Amino acid sequence: MTVLEARGLTKRYGRDSALVRAVDEIDLAVPAGQKLAVMGPSGCGKSTLLHLLGGLQEPSDGEVWLAGRRIDTLSERALARLRRDTIGFVFQSFHLMDELTAVENVELAALLAGRSPRTARRRALHLLDQVGLADRAGHLPAQLSGGQRQRVAVARALTNEPLIVLADEPTGNLDSAATLEVLRLFEELDTTLIVVTHDTRISAIADRMITMRDGAFADDTRLAGAVRAVRAVQS
Amino acid sequence: MTGRLVLLGRLLVRDLRRRKVENILLLIAIAAASGSLTLGIALNGIATQPFTETKTATAGPDVTVRPLEPTPAARAAVAELVKTPGVTGHSGPYPLAFKTMTVHGKTVHAVVEGRDRAPAPVDQPAITDGTWVRPGGVVVERAFAEAMGVRTGDTVRVGDRALPVIGTAVSTAFMAYPHAGWHEPGRIEGDHGGLVWVDRGDLGAVAAGQPLSYILNLTFAHPPTGITFPHDVFDVDTPINVTTWAFIKQENGRLLADAQYAMMIGTFLLTFLALAGVLGIVAGRVIAQRRRVGLLKAVGAGPGIIALSNLVEYLVIALAGAGAGLAGGWLLAPVLTRPGASMIGSVGVPLPTRGTVIAATVLALAIAGLATLVPVIRAATTSTIHALADAAAPPRRRGWRVWLSRRLPTPLLIGVRINARRPRRARLVTMNTLITTTGLVAVVTAWAHDPTLSSIGDPTIPDPRNARLHEVLILLVVALGTLALINTAVSTWTAVLDARQPLAVARTLGATPAQAALGLAVAQLLPALPGAALGLWFGYRMAVDDDAPTQSYFPMIATTVGVVLAVAVLTAVPALLAARRPVAETLRSAPT
Repeated sequence: MTVLEARGLTKRYGRDSALVRAVDEIDLAVPAGQKLAVMGPSGCGKSTLLHLLGGLQEPSDGEVWLAGRRIDTLSERALARLRRDTIGFVFQSFHLMDELTAVENVELAALLAGRSPRTARRRALHLLDQVGLADRAGHLPAQLSGGQRQRVAVARALTNEPLIVLADEPTGNLDSAATLEVLRLFEELDTTLIVVTHDTRISAIADRMITMRDGAFADDTRLAGAVRAVRAVQS
Repeated sequence: MTGRLVLLGRLLVRDLRRRKVENILLLIAIAAASGSLTLGIALNGIATQPFTETKTATAGPDVTVRPLEPTPAARAAVAELVKTPGVTGHSGPYPLAFKTMTVHGKTVHAVVEGRDRAPAPVDQPAITDGTWVRPGGVVVERAFAEAMGVRTGDTVRVGDRALPVIGTAVSTAFMAYPHAGWHEPGRIEGDHGGLVWVDRGDLGAVAAGQPLSYILNLTFAHPPTGITFPHDVFDVDTPINVTTWAFIKQENGRLLADAQYAMMIGTFLLTFLALAGVLGIVAGRVIAQRRRVGLLKAVGAGPGIIALSNLVEYLVIALAGAGAGLAGGWLLAPVLTRPGASMIGSVGVPLPTRGTVIAATVLALAIAGLATLVPVIRAATTSTIHALADAAAPPRRRGWRVWLSRRLPTPLLIGVRINARRPRRARLVTMNTLITTTGLVAVVTAWAHDPTLSSIGDPTIPDPRNARLHEVLILLVVALGTLALINTAVSTWTAVLDARQPLAVARTLGATPAQAALGLAVAQLLPALPGAALGLWFGYRMAVDDDAPTQSYFPMIATTVGVVLAVAVLTAVPALLAARRPVAETLRSAPT
């Protein structure tokens, strides 16, 4: 079953001679449970594509369908509700609240969704336990390593049990060890995942890898388990 | 050394050019405070000059003496006082009657003095319109005439006699209207009343059998300088009332006491409001200048140069603000310091004295210094790497607020947490609202005071103190409102900038734009509420005497609610704009 679908998705900036097609008529269908890696050089439109798929940016043309519902025409309010209930985001910069502890950061999404503080806290602690940070629940982001911060961000993305997790360069600010921690976490996810990254090590956990160039797909590869293992070793 | 000065000069010029709006706001804030101080000083000096001019023009007495008993014997005893050693001139004793004057359907108390047509050597009232007394006519003291709407040519009833008004005049032998010293015959305590003069020959008919009192005007070789006069100077057995010119001048000045008090309080409030405003602007600017601090340090600038490069700009703006305030105060001063109708001459528009210039400049520099010193020192002592990274100071954690906000609806949750990040800014909002509400509630309360004289005989006669007070209050409302507006706008905009990233994150987690905007507005409103509540209380206490009759609370509460609503509206607009900003854009530009 297709969870996320894009049809003729386009994002243009500027006009006339300054026109830039950041995303150029992309068609994409992501089945449930798939782990999709979108790769490509800087400025090829990866992040813009992710933002369009997550409803963070409005496309210039085309359609985005999530769980059978067209989302590119939704109001900001409806999009917010959609993000709250069905999408989890993970960013390169973590975007954790500096003044909140790890558990408070994780439960934030649940609180915004209207869950009771007790339920939100229980869920947050459970997720922190899953990402191996149960003993860091009361720490502030400044007291955590980069990898730990990103794991907190992943836990936060999973708080409301989303249909899909969108990750924008999740390992871009991490060292090797931390990158492996995060990749392992992604591998264990049983939800649909789209990761935009430069990091070829992502191939170790991806079922499918798309390469982008100049706003369009240059390559779309389905990875079998063996291929994944080989690529992981190579990278 | 020269190189450093050139560098400082270049940075100063560039900063002044680049941040025009902020500089103008700083200038307005500082100018408002120093301008109100200039006006306050001008208003305090107002009573002296016109009185002195009027006393000279009317050959006013140094001392007046009245017997307390209206008997011929007392009059004779008082008349003997002209022989007192040191007395250089006298006029009178003139007969006085305490009657009423009726005009335009209003009957009010009038002190009626019987005078001769010939000029007197002491206390010769200066005619401001018409002529001096003659049989069958009445001259009305000018302030009294203005208050009653009387003009030369009108007919008034003094006691039971209808008399044409043949002129208006001013004098310093009596206190200015409405304190001419009227009292019921046989009673000592006085009521409000005005002064009129009739021909001495007419006074008996006007008095209509009422026992007459007397007033003797004296000048001395060495006039008393104090408001009291040593009674043992006079060798007399009759109980007498002695009034010095200094006492009359002081009492005349009390007509402006309410306006002076309002201006003093206003200056105080405006200074604090300016301080809050400058603090808010400076805090935002120092954050923005962090990267430049890092660059300067990286190329070898020491903490001294860093501090100076930030401080000198504010000091220059403060000096400009002091100049603007002095000029504004000087231009506005004639409106507030013109002499009342009971005096002649004018205070003119003298240039501010050296003391005023120093006071206004010190105030402006103090505001700039107090507001900038801590952030400037902090910028100077921050590490080069930290400054180069352009990292804002990390928000502080307020655990109990985070815990509390978990139980609140989303907009409140967002609002409480935004405030918890920057408690100092929230305190500035509280301070701003507190001062604004205090000032406005005090103004509204003072404005609502009984505007009439309580004991002049007619309950509809306006109290002359109110006219000048109302002018001062209008001025204060404009100044307070302007500064409060600036402060709220600056504070809201700073909050919007600071909350961009957390709001964007909240929106990726599912907060709607409306919830984000409402949260931001709540962040400003929450600290404004205690400020408004405290301001209501302070403003009320400031403007109401304990023994004053209870007033309606409605205007004060309406003012307070109005301040809160104004904050809400001023906050809602930038909050809505901020909530419309694309999330992806904010997250991309946010620091890692």
